[in-house]
Amino acid sequence: MADKQTDPADAFAKLVSDWERNFDSMANKIMGTDEFSQSMNQFQNLQLAMQKRFNEAMAQHLLNLNMPSRDDILRLGESIRSVEKRLASIETTLAKKKKKKSGKDASKKPPRTKLPPSMRSEADHE
Amino acid sequence: MSETRANVMDRAGKLVERTIARNLKGLDFLTMPPAKVGLTPKEVLYERGTLRLYHYLPQADELYRVPILLVMATTNKAYVFDLAPGQSMVEYLLKEGFDVYVIDWEPPLPEERGLSLADYTQDFIPTCVQMVIDDSGEPDLSIVGYCMGGVLSLIYAASHTDGPLKNLACLTTPVNWAEMGLTRIWSDEKHFDVDRLVDTLGVIPQDFVQASFEMLRPAQKSASQIRVWEKMWDDEFVKSYRAFDRWGNETLPLAGEYFRDTTKELMWANKLYKGNLVVNGKSAKLSDITVPIMAAMAEHDHIVAYDASKPLLELVGSEDKEEIVLKGGHVSLIAGPNAVRRMWPKLAEWLGERSV
Repeated sequence: MADKQTDPADAFAKLVSDWERNFDSMANKIMGTDEFSQSMNQFQNLQLAMQKRFNEAMAQHLLNLNMPSRDDILRLGESIRSVEKRLASIETTLAKKKKKKSGKDASKKPPRTKLPPSMRSEADHE
Repeated sequence: MSETRANVMDRAGKLVERTIARNLKGLDFLTMPPAKVGLTPKEVLYERGTLRLYHYLPQADELYRVPILLVMATTNKAYVFDLAPGQSMVEYLLKEGFDVYVIDWEPPLPEERGLSLADYTQDFIPTCVQMVIDDSGEPDLSIVGYCMGGVLSLIYAASHTDGPLKNLACLTTPVNWAEMGLTRIWSDEKHFDVDRLVDTLGVIPQDFVQASFEMLRPAQKSASQIRVWEKMWDDEFVKSYRAFDRWGNETLPLAGEYFRDTTKELMWANKLYKGNLVVNGKSAKLSDITVPIMAAMAEHDHIVAYDASKPLLELVGSEDKEEIVLKGGHVSLIAGPNAVRRMWPKLAEWLGERSV
């Protein structure tokens, strides 16, 4: 016990843990106020407003250049997603059919006969 | 006196040894590639956009009849279930004789910004449930949901009461969102304009999600780095730290509509708790869940406070229900030392009794 108290490595570890706990506790008190939440969100809204304006200006430039905008590309991506979804469903159906046909591989998998310890002892008695 | 001197010499020797090891291994640490994680053999059973369904190869000679589907939170990668050999919930369950499937998430792409809570609970999970039923050949399954994966599993279970779900386990799953502490304060509707955020960004970026976790414990990252430097001589500690650190840094972005739904329906209106959540026209009342259910919570969870997850068992309609509360935090509940000693054996025992 005395060793533990005087071990510099343990003392350092305790110092780090205490610092972490105190810092977190103090920061959480400050960040848990309505004022903090309000100012953090105001700052975020400002950034978002700037980004929105930039996005709009960029979209207008692309339109003037007769090029697709980000939204056009995203809409295209969404169409591809819906094709992928239908393709996945077709693949799944085909895989099921193939599995049925080949009788895959119930025999290769371990049997699903395991009992929990409580039932195993009952089964043993029977 | 001489014994004291021997002690001092011994301690000084150890200090010198560790200092040398720290410096030598510290150099390696800085140049090492990312930690290897998720090593348990598995196959991809299904993939579509952000969704991945994995099947882990059985490791026991005899399996329980009912397969398990693990549902990961949408904010992080599922390899936290399988960090490293010996530190893997999946490996433990496989060796205990379970057939294990896992739903994992890839970062949603910009064109997946429109995925909503309904897509996750009325399309992704039901599709995977059907895939597990087809692949295993069994008519029912158990679901184990972690954090937000638990919320999605609850909504699925509550809105598919005639489905094949046999057992449900929810690990650190928030139910009463009014008790979400700082997260609730920061996303208060008075100040937080979720519509502006989603409409502008489409997909909520990874650094936004990660910052919102890190701000809950602002000193944690620095303290962990100091701790790992001090313990650089301890290979096991460093290995575990690197795996956790990689996982913590690989937070996922979120689909915008899903984030909007979560904020408005769950965080602001607290509909899951109040029992008036409707998803895609289907009621998702917790009281309609009647399957056996287990809720595991962490006493010192700083992400999902104990009070946020505690009401679950009071709200469900199940008669067979069990609560387990462990010391430790949000992540250590499923991958820390307490998980290895208590959580995994308890989960395996609870599921085993109900998987024949």
